Amino acid sequence: MALYQFSGLILLAPLLAFAVIIFGTRPWDLLSRDKSGKAINRAGRAEAGPYGGEGDSTSSHADAHAVEAHGSAGDDHGEHGQDDDDDPKVPYLTRGAKVSGYVAIAIMALACIYSWVLLISTLIDPQTLPPQGITVFQYEWLVQGSASYVVAFQLDHLAIAMMVVVTTVSLLVQFYSQGYMEDSAGYARFFSYLSLFAFSMLVIVFARNFLVIFVGWELVGLSSYLLIGFWINKRAKPEEQRPSPANAALQAFVVNRVGDVGFIIGIMILFTSTGTFEFSQLVTRVQTMDKTLLTVAMILVFCGAIGKSAQVPLHVWLPSAMEGPTPVSALIHAATMVAAGVYMVARTYPLFAAADPAAFEVVAWVGAITATFAATIALVQTDFKRVLAFSTISQLGYMFVGLGVAGPELQSGPGMFHLFTHAFFKALLFLGAGSVLHSLHHATHKEVQDMRLMGGLATRMPITAITWLIATLAISGFPFFSGFFSKETIIGLTFERGDWGLYALTLGTAGLTAFYMLRAYIQAFGGKGGRVGGLWGGTYRGVGEPHESPRTITIPLILLAIPSVIAGYWVGFFTYLNPNSPSLDIGQMLATPDTWIGVVVSLVGLAVAYVLYARVEPAKLHSVVQNNVVLRTLHRILYNRYYIDELYDLFVRYVVLGISHIEQAFDTYIIDGLVNGAARAVTTLGRDTSKVETGRVQTYMIGFFGGIAVLAVIVFVLVTYVRG
Amino acid sequence: MLTLNHFLVLGAILFCIGLYGAISKRNAIAVLMGIEIMLNAVNITMVGFSFFDQVRPYSTHLTGQIFAIFIITVAAAEAAVALAMIIAIYRKRDTVDVGEIDMMKW
Amino acid sequence: MDLATLIFWIFAVILVGAALAVVGLRNIVHSALALVVVFAMAAGIYVLLNAEFIAIVQILIYAGAVTILILFALMLTRIGGQARTNPTNRLWGIAVVICALVGATIVYAAAYSPRAVANVGNGAGQLPPGINNVVAIGQLLYSPTTYSYVLPFEVASLVLLVAIVGAIVIGRED
Repeated sequence: MALYQFSGLILLAPLLAFAVIIFGTRPWDLLSRDKSGKAINRAGRAEAGPYGGEGDSTSSHADAHAVEAHGSAGDDHGEHGQDDDDDPKVPYLTRGAKVSGYVAIAIMALACIYSWVLLISTLIDPQTLPPQGITVFQYEWLVQGSASYVVAFQLDHLAIAMMVVVTTVSLLVQFYSQGYMEDSAGYARFFSYLSLFAFSMLVIVFARNFLVIFVGWELVGLSSYLLIGFWINKRAKPEEQRPSPANAALQAFVVNRVGDVGFIIGIMILFTSTGTFEFSQLVTRVQTMDKTLLTVAMILVFCGAIGKSAQVPLHVWLPSAMEGPTPVSALIHAATMVAAGVYMVARTYPLFAAADPAAFEVVAWVGAITATFAATIALVQTDFKRVLAFSTISQLGYMFVGLGVAGPELQSGPGMFHLFTHAFFKALLFLGAGSVLHSLHHATHKEVQDMRLMGGLATRMPITAITWLIATLAISGFPFFSGFFSKETIIGLTFERGDWGLYALTLGTAGLTAFYMLRAYIQAFGGKGGRVGGLWGGTYRGVGEPHESPRTITIPLILLAIPSVIAGYWVGFFTYLNPNSPSLDIGQMLATPDTWIGVVVSLVGLAVAYVLYARVEPAKLHSVVQNNVVLRTLHRILYNRYYIDELYDLFVRYVVLGISHIEQAFDTYIIDGLVNGAARAVTTLGRDTSKVETGRVQTYMIGFFGGIAVLAVIVFVLVTYVRG
Repeated sequence: MLTLNHFLVLGAILFCIGLYGAISKRNAIAVLMGIEIMLNAVNITMVGFSFFDQVRPYSTHLTGQIFAIFIITVAAAEAAVALAMIIAIYRKRDTVDVGEIDMMKW
Repeated sequence: MDLATLIFWIFAVILVGAALAVVGLRNIVHSALALVVVFAMAAGIYVLLNAEFIAIVQILIYAGAVTILILFALMLTRIGGQARTNPTNRLWGIAVVICALVGATIVYAAAYSPRAVANVGNGAGQLPPGINNVVAIGQLLYSPTTYSYVLPFEVASLVLLVAIVGAIVIGRED
């Protein structure tokens, strides 16, 4: 159908947005500034340009970055004058910047509508799209004998499901960014990077072979780097254990790269054994491959997912990535990029299935350990976004457990289902957090992310609070919200398989998740003395008067709250992905007892959190923990995230850089020594040999007659002793 | 009895003494004197060969002596030119030490 | 030994001794005078070899003109007041070795080579009557017959001309 062929254009559309913004609107902006530094502004303001008249030398600078960055140096920027952070601000947006936003949103809206249309049409008539998918675009890049490298994109049900997630969340985040980033310098640049990210994610989603998925993999890594490090001038805050955005971006990229090493090796093993990169061909060819080799290859491929989806031990970049703007955290580090690892494993599920069951065991256990590990850390974090970051890591662990224990009937269903529901409520959580941070920033003129300085915000920001509560209940697995269905499916699968270790870990993590999410909610929005028993409002521990965020911020929150509740009711999800698998049977799920055990555990977690945070004074809680030695040390270990960051820092500084220093010494002294030494030897030899020419005749005569004497001796010896 | 070897050995000894003087003397004129001794040694050898030549009759082929005459001629010419040069160098550099004439060095 | 051998040995010893004095004496004027003795003894040896013309020419040219030239040069290039006007350079040790080796080579070649000429001379020869050494050399140098050295003679005179002109040019003071 022509409708499906159109998806090739939709794939390229965000790239077009990126190009338009970078090459169109930004130069337009630069060109429309006249020589004295006054930008043409439509608001008709009387002031001389956006930089308070200081702009002559700075505005004529060709680099818009630097010009915009100077904005914070001035002192007439309205209410931002007293800001103590170094995010550069602009008092109003130029026309080009606003157009950038509109272009990006328009294209993303187009993509979103298209993806929903595709979804609905394939739901109505599942026969229109063959199960193995259709190829949307194909370009033969290089053919070398039997090896052919083809850039190819396909469309099948899995791709459509993921595409819906990606485009919907992207659209809502871009819409949200209009309000969140309205006073930030580099507004146009932000939207261009968001579009680039959307393009990269779609490359992964549509990929038909490992080459293309790897290209998309690296592109999302690049976009993540650009977006995390968006505020390039921001400094680190060591007292809050926060790195600078530039360092955080670098950390994200490098840690991803470490995972990619395994990924590439895995792909190469598969290629050399089977001769192809295409997923469809691999499925048939790996049946004849040596099983151990295949298992090793798939575990290595999973390493890439470990890096991209922030599983233990490569999880350290995700908390640092919170240094980027909150819309970025919502889009990339909650809903889509980190889910790329899950998507990739789901896409290559038949390859995992053909390998030894140990591959699935590895996937499931890594996921379970990560889930518990991250949940324990999140129990004691005080930074609002950091709690959410560890929550993301934990839920990603759940997705991998789901992929690992699914079995041949359900295949990639449960894992992808949890990805699907998680995308919505986690994006909601992050965008709500962004709303809170935005209003606190306006209220205190400082960047406040510490939950100890919040409290009782529900009465002041009701829409944010209610949507956040909905998302909290969803993530905790409260019955009949969307998270309940996806999580309990996974926990139930571990129970059915008899995997008691996995069962215990996932069940425990569900309780911990409920605990820390409600803790975060109460610390931010509630508190002792508030209404509804401390859940709604209370004492505000910070400064200033926070108020509700503007509509561009709250509308996406409301829109995301809807699928956070009802996304779980799409029971045909499993069948949609794999025609042979059974659909989610809610009735059966409610009838089995282990579902209710999970519910009880979650409720216990919620209850404990309620008691500790809504009923007890925070100072009293703090003193109880500090006075008890066991609790205090536990608290310190968890607060410092098991000291893994410090461990990696030591490792890099002493082992990695130590090896680098050794190799640098090798290069400088041995290699350069050889090369320079050869040159030096030649010049020295030449210089010393040239001393033979003394310029004095008598020296030459000595040489002459000395030679004669030597020859004479030789002849004498030869004649006397060799003759006869 | 005198044989040719006497004169050849005498010539060899003189040649070596002259060579020693030419190589190891610092005064340019002493070098020239060493060269004159070498030329004399060669002359003695030449004349000795002409005297002991039994192949051709004495009266017609005094080749060695003719050679010696020309050597003497050329040696005189060369001595004149060499001494002129030494005087010219002395005027320019105020030295006749051959060790200091080394502009063609490295 | 007969008279010729005795005279030869006397002349040879004085000759070698004077040559050693030329290269060995500290005062260069003394060396120049020893050089005169060398020339004189060489002339004596020529006489022994029945080469009277060569002997006379040796005295005339060498002991006469060349020696005076050398003495004039010494006078014009005086380096005043030094104790040692005829120094040796640093390489005299190597020079001794080299010279000894070269000398030994020549002696060895002369004495032991297959073509060594060790015959007895017939110095007086079969001179026709009325022909002495000067006449014989004159006939060889100037005769227009087939075997003559006229051409080298003319070339030698050209060499002398060039040498005279060259010496004058070089020695000019300007």
